[in-house]
Amino acid sequence: MDSIITTHELKKSFRSPRGSVDAVRGVSFDVARGEIFGFLGPNGAGKTTTLRMLTTLLPIDGGTAVVAGCDVAHRPKAVRARIGYVSQLGGADAMATGAENLVLQGRLYGGDLATVKARAEALMEILDLAEFAHRKVKTYSGGQRRRLDVALGIIHEPEVLFLDEPSTGLDPQNRANLWDHVRALRDRGTTIFLTTHYLEEADALCDRLVIMDHGEIVVEGTPRDLKRQVAGESVVLSLRDADGAGERASALLGAQPYVRELSDEGDQVRLYVEDGGEALPQILRLLDAEHIGVRSMHLSEPTLDDVFLRQTGRSLRDAGSGTGDEGRAA
Amino acid sequence: MKTVRDTGLLFHRYIVQMLRNPVWLVVGFSTPILYLVLFTPLLKSLPGVRGFPTGGVLQIFLPGILALLAFASGSSAGFGTIFELQSGLIERLRVTPASRFAILFGPLLSGLVTMTVFDAVVVAVGVGFGFHVHWAGLAVLTVLLWLLATLMGAFSTATALVTKEISAFAAVINGINLPILLLAGVLLPISLGPLWLRVLAHLNPLYYLVVAARSLAVGHIATAVVWQAFAVLVPLCVVVLAWATRVFRRAVA
Ligand SMILES: Nc1ncnc2c1ncn2[C@@H]1O[C@H](COP(=O)(O)OP(=O)(O)OP(=O)(O)O)[C@@H](O)[C@H]1O
Ligand SMILES: [Mg+2]
Repeated sequence: MDSIITTHELKKSFRSPRGSVDAVRGVSFDVARGEIFGFLGPNGAGKTTTLRMLTTLLPIDGGTAVVAGCDVAHRPKAVRARIGYVSQLGGADAMATGAENLVLQGRLYGGDLATVKARAEALMEILDLAEFAHRKVKTYSGGQRRRLDVALGIIHEPEVLFLDEPSTGLDPQNRANLWDHVRALRDRGTTIFLTTHYLEEADALCDRLVIMDHGEIVVEGTPRDLKRQVAGESVVLSLRDADGAGERASALLGAQPYVRELSDEGDQVRLYVEDGGEALPQILRLLDAEHIGVRSMHLSEPTLDDVFLRQTGRSLRDAGSGTGDEGRAA
Repeated sequence: MKTVRDTGLLFHRYIVQMLRNPVWLVVGFSTPILYLVLFTPLLKSLPGVRGFPTGGVLQIFLPGILALLAFASGSSAGFGTIFELQSGLIERLRVTPASRFAILFGPLLSGLVTMTVFDAVVVAVGVGFGFHVHWAGLAVLTVLLWLLATLMGAFSTATALVTKEISAFAAVINGINLPILLLAGVLLPISLGPLWLRVLAHLNPLYYLVVAARSLAVGHIATAVVWQAFAVLVPLCVVVLAWATRVFRRAVA
């Protein structure tokens, strides 16, 4: 694999008067040139912290990171020239126009005025911002602003673009639109490293991803492989609550050969089976025979949440503050 | 070279932003003018009192106002930094290859330009009240004021980066400003005070500037107090700039 990012045992702790937080506890991974690579994890998993170390913003406590051929700790300037970074907050200057923001950014990367102006114009065209180019950024909508943030990250045509939660706070339409732009960017040869806590985003957008939790990498692979690992499909049974129905159902179903894995989540039972179509009638018959009432039954293809659940015993939707569009913490 | 170019680019951004915000400019202008208009009448009875050289109270009072202006314009720089930190702007700049010194000094330089314009207005109004201008002295004083504003600006910016949020920053800056201002004799000469006060004042960099400013305002340039002011402010300015650049270079976690 032609790696553009390689990290080895990367570590970061924050010390405060109230004790220390091991935000990143030794993560090692490789990102291939030209792919969209994702970091998926709940709030506080250490995604932003890892990104800030890779982008030279935060000193590395332990381990090594090489980005675009340069060691991050020893050659931060060389790294900066080769990467683009869009932070969780964006960081566009609200009092200036979109075009002014882009031109200043391009010039800080060393471009001359004429080149930078032409590039800014072309980018605003590509990212559907041309219409608002000369309006102050404070008047932009969330989606327009996020597209400008992306434009600021790529004005100097970096080899790698880091995106920290690019679609947080966007509505589904704007999110899909942003995904299209990110894919187009990859197709033109830019490597993209993004963090997200949206399962759907990681699944739809990333070529490869790692799932992170409590500062550690839980699992790594393509979305497809990861889901295949979970094996088969998941069945969620919601039971009528009568004298320990959940426990009885778990004991009963856990003993069946076609049930690969099972978790009792109180009023519902989640199980993984090889073939859902075959298993469903058998499950129903079994429960019926034991007089365990079923309120509803729900069969689904595995999602990345199932992968997370299997690895950590928690659902990504519950861990941290889940997948909503809140969560701008830290 | 790159540092100069980057400083120029960032200076441009800040000065344009300042010009776009006329409310800020009006407030900036009115404060020193109010001092002159509302405070000068109180000084009418002072000539002849011990500690006041001859040559009109304004020769004493106006340099104090200029020093106050430089001090305030510098030490308020960090409020903008806090805002930029929280909006992610500082982080965006730090991830570019732009010179760290430029990221610090660009905004400070635009502050110096506006301060100089305010100073000119204050002097012009002062002339209307009877201030007598000694051009050479005024030119040297301007350099001292730039040094002070840069020193305080760099200190305030770095403090903002370290404290990261407005309440902690404001507490630190206010806590430091008050004793410095009171111990500098900005409004009235320290020489009017008791011995312990005069001794304490000698630990205060602003005191040296204020004393030198009063000397320069009456046209006395090659005096010991002027040399002392440079000897205190130049090294201090260099040290604080180096420290603040280092803070930018390291993490702003
Ligand atoms: N500057 C800091 N000082 C102290 N603790 C910090 C700091 N930055 C991050 N942390 C802590 O490190 C942990 C990881 O934070 P990080 O921001 O990397 O999480 P994240 O995965 O990006 O989460 P989110 O999805 O909420 O953005 C958290 O527990 C956070 O509180
Ligand atoms: Mg984050």
